[in-house]
Amino acid sequence: MKWTVKDVEVYLQEKEYVDTAVIPLIPLTLEKNVKSIVSMGEFVQIIVNELERQFKGRVFLFPPFTYFTSENMEEKTKRIADWTDELIANGMKHIFYVTSDTEWKAGEANLPGTLLWLPSIPLEHMDEKYKQQIVTDQTSQLMNLLIAKWS
Amino acid sequence: MSDNKHRVSRRQFLNYTLTGVGGFMAAGMLMPMVRFALDPVLKGEAGGEMVAVAQVKDITTEPKRFDFKVKVKDAWYESEEPRSAWVYKDDKGEIVALSPVCKHLGCTVNWNGDKEHPNQFFCPCHYGRYEKDGTNVPGTPPIHPLDRYELKVKDGTLYLGKAKPRGEA
Repeated sequence: MKWTVKDVEVYLQEKEYVDTAVIPLIPLTLEKNVKSIVSMGEFVQIIVNELERQFKGRVFLFPPFTYFTSENMEEKTKRIADWTDELIANGMKHIFYVTSDTEWKAGEANLPGTLLWLPSIPLEHMDEKYKQQIVTDQTSQLMNLLIAKWS
Repeated sequence: MSDNKHRVSRRQFLNYTLTGVGGFMAAGMLMPMVRFALDPVLKGEAGGEMVAVAQVKDITTEPKRFDFKVKVKDAWYESEEPRSAWVYKDDKGEIVALSPVCKHLGCTVNWNGDKEHPNQFFCPCHYGRYEKDGTNVPGTPPIHPLDRYELKVKDGTLYLGKAKPRGEA
């Protein structure tokens, strides 16, 4: 489900079935490499939206966790740990972070949830059909990771 | 010679121009009215909003997933949303298009997704299962059969419309 009133109404009724939170980690900047940073964020958003469509009934897709690229790793890790604690305190059992930002990969061990890192693929100049294929492939890989974690 | 020059008299000329201009003005007013009156009829023709999804020759007795996109209008925001369908031919050779949206909480179901229960649709979220025709397996979370898409075949292409609960489509 998504962060919308309609989906949250379902969540409130069926809380015990929704035990997985997915948080996209989206970097922000306005400096020279802005385009590649935006492309990362866009790609991750497309993937998590498709993931949500596949797993609507068990996965709660949260609004993105955003940070400026200048924010230091410790701060970010602390903030995301706070998010995670809050979610676990409210009944979420599995927390997944989805990102294309390599920085997280380095600090993966310090994260309380599961990091799903995927290389960003620039989709903007791609043929519609090819694009769909890539998104489906990437998403199904993530789906397998989630299913493995559930069972 | 003067006869030739004045074949159209001033009175006639004014008559023609006034009728012409008046006619245009009347038409300008009436056209939108007629258009509005006819609008529901025109809509009905384009209605149904069927989308081309697959070639009939690609459809087998084994359910196969087809992805397509539909235009969705949410207030002023128009977008294309992805949809999927499980399509197969049943024993009578008729095409069946099932919506993959689990009737429990809306996950996407897969054909043969669970090795212990082959030839069933399987929902990975809460292990709901459906028979090939979309009937929910008792004892699993879903309590309704899968929705079916309205479908039509034209020139060897399969078009799908809205997904409707079984019994209505």
